[in-house]
Amino acid sequence: MNGHLELHDHAEDGPEGNLQERCCNVLPPPPRYPNGNLYTGMPGGGPLLETNNTLEHPTGPEYQLVVGEGTYVLRDDLHLATPPPHPSDAPQPNNNPLATNMGLPTVGTKLSSATITPRKPPSHGLFRIATAQSARSNIPPSIQEEAQSPRSDAGSITNGFGSASYYNHTPTFGDSNDALRPAPAKGNKKDQRAKPKNNIVKSNSSFVSRVIPHEALQKRLAERSLDGLMMFANVNRALVWLDLTSETKTENLTKVLFTKAHALCHDINEITKSSTHLDMILGFNTSDIIWYEPISQKYARLNKNGMINSSPVSSIHWLPNKENLFLAAHMDGSLVVYDKEKEDAEFIPEEASPTENGHENGTPKNKFRIKKSVQSKIQKTNPVAAYSVSNMKINDVAFSPDGQLLAVVCDDGCLTIIDFLHEHVRDIYRAYYGGMLCVTWSPDGRYVLTGGQDDLVSIWSLVDQALVARCVGHHSWVTDIKFDPWRCDERNYRFGSVGEDGRLLLWDFSVGILGRPKAMSMSVRNRASVTSHHVPASNRKESHSTMMGRLRSNSDRAPGSADANGDGVDGEPQAEMVHAVDSMRSTAVLPPVMSKIVDEHPLSWLGFAEHCIITACKDGHVREWDRPKEGAEETVEERRTSKSLSPTGL
Amino acid sequence: MSFFGKFKPGSTPSQSAGAAQAAKKDPNAPVPTHLEKHLVDVLGPIRPDGSDKFFGFENYGSTCYCNSIIQCLYYSAPFRENVLNFPSKPFLDALAEETANLPPNGRPKPMGRSPSTTPYPNMNSPARKQTQPTSPGGAKPEESKDAPDARKKLALAAGPVLDMVNGDSYKYGMDESLFTSLKDIFEAIIGHQSRIGVVSPHKFLEILRRDNEMFRSAMHQDAHEFLNLLLNQVVDNVELFSKQHPDVMIPQGNGGAPEKGLAAAMSSAVAGAHPVSANGLDTHWVHDLFEGLLTSETRCLTCENTSQRDEAFLDLSVDLAAHTSVTSCLRKFSEEEMLCERNKFHCDNCGGLQEAEKRMKIKRLPRILALHLKRFKYTEDLQRLQKLFHRVVYPFHLRLFNTTEDAEDSDRLYELYAVVVHIGGGPYHGHYVSIIKTQDRGWLLFDDELVEPVDKSYVLNFFGGEPIPGLQDAKQLACAYVLFYQETTLEAVLKEQETEGGLHPVASRVSDAETFNGGLSPTKPDLRQTQTVTTPILERMEFMDPVAHAETAPDNAALPVRPPFTTAQPTAPMSPVLPGKSKKELKAEEKQRKVAEKERLKGEEAKRREASARRVEAWKKQDEELKRVMEESKMTAAEETKKRGNEGSAVSEKVGGGGAGGALGRFRHGSMSLRGKPKLFGKDRDVSGSGNGNGEKLPAIPQRQATVSGVHEGVARERERNGDPAVEEKKVKNRFSLGRKKSQGLT
Repeated sequence: MNGHLELHDHAEDGPEGNLQERCCNVLPPPPRYPNGNLYTGMPGGGPLLETNNTLEHPTGPEYQLVVGEGTYVLRDDLHLATPPPHPSDAPQPNNNPLATNMGLPTVGTKLSSATITPRKPPSHGLFRIATAQSARSNIPPSIQEEAQSPRSDAGSITNGFGSASYYNHTPTFGDSNDALRPAPAKGNKKDQRAKPKNNIVKSNSSFVSRVIPHEALQKRLAERSLDGLMMFANVNRALVWLDLTSETKTENLTKVLFTKAHALCHDINEITKSSTHLDMILGFNTSDIIWYEPISQKYARLNKNGMINSSPVSSIHWLPNKENLFLAAHMDGSLVVYDKEKEDAEFIPEEASPTENGHENGTPKNKFRIKKSVQSKIQKTNPVAAYSVSNMKINDVAFSPDGQLLAVVCDDGCLTIIDFLHEHVRDIYRAYYGGMLCVTWSPDGRYVLTGGQDDLVSIWSLVDQALVARCVGHHSWVTDIKFDPWRCDERNYRFGSVGEDGRLLLWDFSVGILGRPKAMSMSVRNRASVTSHHVPASNRKESHSTMMGRLRSNSDRAPGSADANGDGVDGEPQAEMVHAVDSMRSTAVLPPVMSKIVDEHPLSWLGFAEHCIITACKDGHVREWDRPKEGAEETVEERRTSKSLSPTGL
Repeated sequence: MSFFGKFKPGSTPSQSAGAAQAAKKDPNAPVPTHLEKHLVDVLGPIRPDGSDKFFGFENYGSTCYCNSIIQCLYYSAPFRENVLNFPSKPFLDALAEETANLPPNGRPKPMGRSPSTTPYPNMNSPARKQTQPTSPGGAKPEESKDAPDARKKLALAAGPVLDMVNGDSYKYGMDESLFTSLKDIFEAIIGHQSRIGVVSPHKFLEILRRDNEMFRSAMHQDAHEFLNLLLNQVVDNVELFSKQHPDVMIPQGNGGAPEKGLAAAMSSAVAGAHPVSANGLDTHWVHDLFEGLLTSETRCLTCENTSQRDEAFLDLSVDLAAHTSVTSCLRKFSEEEMLCERNKFHCDNCGGLQEAEKRMKIKRLPRILALHLKRFKYTEDLQRLQKLFHRVVYPFHLRLFNTTEDAEDSDRLYELYAVVVHIGGGPYHGHYVSIIKTQDRGWLLFDDELVEPVDKSYVLNFFGGEPIPGLQDAKQLACAYVLFYQETTLEAVLKEQETEGGLHPVASRVSDAETFNGGLSPTKPDLRQTQTVTTPILERMEFMDPVAHAETAPDNAALPVRPPFTTAQPTAPMSPVLPGKSKKELKAEEKQRKVAEKERLKGEEAKRREASARRVEAWKKQDEELKRVMEESKMTAAEETKKRGNEGSAVSEKVGGGGAGGALGRFRHGSMSLRGKPKLFGKDRDVSGSGNGNGEKLPAIPQRQATVSGVHEGVARERERNGDPAVEEKKVKNRFSLGRKKSQGLT
């Protein structure tokens, strides 16, 4: 119970542990952790109460999604309580409608999922394993679920080594740099995983306000099924840890309140997770990064006070098949690779960065720069590597299923495909207009989807290096997109998207459909500012010569070009790098198979699990939509009856 | 006072070139404003095109609608160039010769000395108001120093103030009009040697109020309505002028506006000679910039016959829905619509009112897309307009989806360059500001006298959203109301993005602000709150007396006397007048006289305008048939005007000082019936009982080839009423802001 007290040293402790009920229309649920410090504030003002999560089960046709395969029904609407502001950060009445002070960026609720022992992902046979196209990006047999395969029997999950040996044929980031070899002494035996140093519950950091573990945390952890779905969700300044398969899912396993900072993004390391260890990283709007191990309640703070990069972290991901390295996308357009166990050091971009030499000659600034290569021998401190992709805000990044490529979307409206292992840009595609907000890969790595401020979901084919279709149906900006691996097979893809319009849209497309637009756009004439992608290469070269020149120069000297892929990083690059915007008329338009307002607030996150679709909104509603029951035989495996959920696609 | 101490006056940037700042450590020395700091690194001579001038506009009491719109127009480079270059130099030279040879009575006298509706000096101006000592519980001195009102006042005090009292219309060889006074303002700003200052748009308002009854009151007006009026009047003024000078005109087709590229317009503007007309009179530039063409396609459900009609528009009014984007609003604008029940369509083919499907698509894209978000909707329950706070997101770039198949350049890329923000809880009061992208100084916030640099991300602060009860954040009341998108190219965008510094400006600004406020007030817990720009507090907004937008820049103790007009003045093309006490007395007398004379003038003016308008039309159309139509419609309009006038006043009474509502009806007063904006023919209006009696009237009128949706297309309806098919076929140049569907804004 001592965790219920504000550990941060501030004037009044009371408000947060407030008992008093006082709200507008709906009574909040009773506070679960009274500490006797009743707050008797003046009426009308005063801090808000800390409330509990609530669970509702609304029914009716407006809570059903009717699709071809059946009807998805809203099972649970879990409303995560928004924590009241920290007493030191009480909201001031703002009388100025034009106040120019811009607060730090905030985001809606996003989820990171962890299933300790996931069931096997949807049948591997559904995915093309070695098509001609995928061969060059060397897609591993199990797509995106790679981390699960070696551990699908519960016995071997605790050790990441299994996966390491499994992946030893696949190059990973920084392989060729001896300086990055993990120290051999590190406890790779059993569950001796490195933990962060500080206890978050007992922390007296001013960054962490307080931590509220569940009274029976250890018991709940011990009793829960290993294939149950755990979720971490950010709500305002809180991070809550939930067990979605628990009967008492409203009760947080742990709630961490930060003083002022909001976590904007988080990720769980798939290869180090076990029933006794979870490596989680959080990126904050204050630019801080926290490495958090929830089971032992330990944490470490990186990029403290913006030492390495001072802009907020908009997206954060563990590097594929890496235990220690993760990638943070900062809002200044930087990508920074950190090692969770290394100390920060003031970062000065390395002068030796070959990008900055020799290729500047008068051409406009190159957007992609290597500020520190992974090949750098100086690897005692963070960052491990650093790049600049844009001078505008990066909104989302996604690794390809094989871990080789990275898709980055920015406010400048660009989708940049980076050959991450070799640190060079492969392609740049542009949104129809406006910034791009979200990105994801198809399970087989052939397609990239982006959503953005043009209200469109765009489907990009990496093989054809072209836009294949625009998906029209959202009424506002698209904030998240995901494939539904349970409904994808060799020719057909199912994906979903959510947006500021509070809508969930489901889409189906098949390879057959995707074949058409190519032919269409081929016949399209050039327009003033909008040109078809499929104009002869010579034309394109002229129109984009400057851009291409400098981008190509990048790839020319990609370090470690003695790569396994050998897809022409030296000499003439494989193809055009910067792709023109396709005219609307020349592009295939894909309509949704389902469109429905699923939340009265703008949606911020979407995930597909084996048994449900999960949506999350800016207000903290997490909704689980059960898949159609009658279509049960359509889902790949139905052996188990428990609601086991795999993180795949989440 | 640490506020002042922080910045040594010596570091004050040049606010008027040449005039050296007092470098003494005087606590009352001007503190560099945010704008001054923003411009501190500006080097080199002031550009002649006016793109690096940053002048606030004095508020004459609820004239923020005017200020915000004029700023938006000023920072449209092509619009500004065109205003400056009309009439073109060759013409003016010729004119100078001509007038020299002409007898004095050859030309109407400039009306520059007409009595004023806007008193000068404007002591009612909020920012000029003398301040009473603050009441005991009043704001802390530190606060008031940084309060927007105080800073507005400081801006006015710092000057230079360009008092636009007299017009220079005679210099342009034109009759005094909104256009000439707008041109006066532009010329004055550009002609002045200071980069910053305040314009006192006295003359402009005077003419506006003289010619437009609805703007005469000191009430809150609708900015979009004003924009439309202004553009229409500029068109009128320019065309009227060219008709008056047919000798120097090379007649142009009335039909389509000549298609020109931006570059062509710019270069010609810079060169001062227009390629279209040898005599330098191109009257189509407003059309070229703002006008687009809509095609409405109506398919009769009885005979399956499809009829098409083109309509020109100067801006688009789109309906809003919660949680949408402007893209979506535009899509919805062009969605199919059923014409049924009271909105039935008169089908020529089957003869009679039929159900039909109608959709409107954009056939020709405007170069500047003025997008009006219809935030003011008539609600039947309340019997009045209500503000919609719906969250509507708008991106920095835009393309249009709702174009016709044959539209040219249908993928045209637009960039957001100006946002007019309405602040307030309802349509009848509140405040307007604009946020505008300048050529090379980033985004600036124009709040009457105050000009402030803002971060790019600030622009996206005004999506709106239902106010949360109990949340004391006045930002909730500020929503984008008019969005200006201008055409651009991907190349230009890329170039801009390369130079754009992402978050960097934010960082620098924050630190900047902190320094600025550093040590300002230990009693103030949140320094960020001080780094603010404006306006009234929440409560005050809600219950603000419409007349008293004055409140935005209220009482401040030491109204610094306006600095004497220093060396800065001579180059200014207008005559600065020093505010004198004697003048004040004179004013009182003048006011008396004014009232009487105003009436007289109004009558004369109306007559003159009508006559000339008729002449213009005759010349323009060369079509007897059409002319008859116009006359008829004018008569109809007159009736309607009368009717509306009554209704209008009734409405305004009903809503209690609802100037906007009442003013709507009088909108077309004194202007041609085919001009002006589509009126309130909507169903909502009918229900209100003030809808021009449209409901009863309509069925009786034989409609032919109409595609009326019962919505805004007042003009269409009028034409139909006149029963002249020729009109439709002719693609007459009507200039409207087109809105549609049920929700009624202040359109």
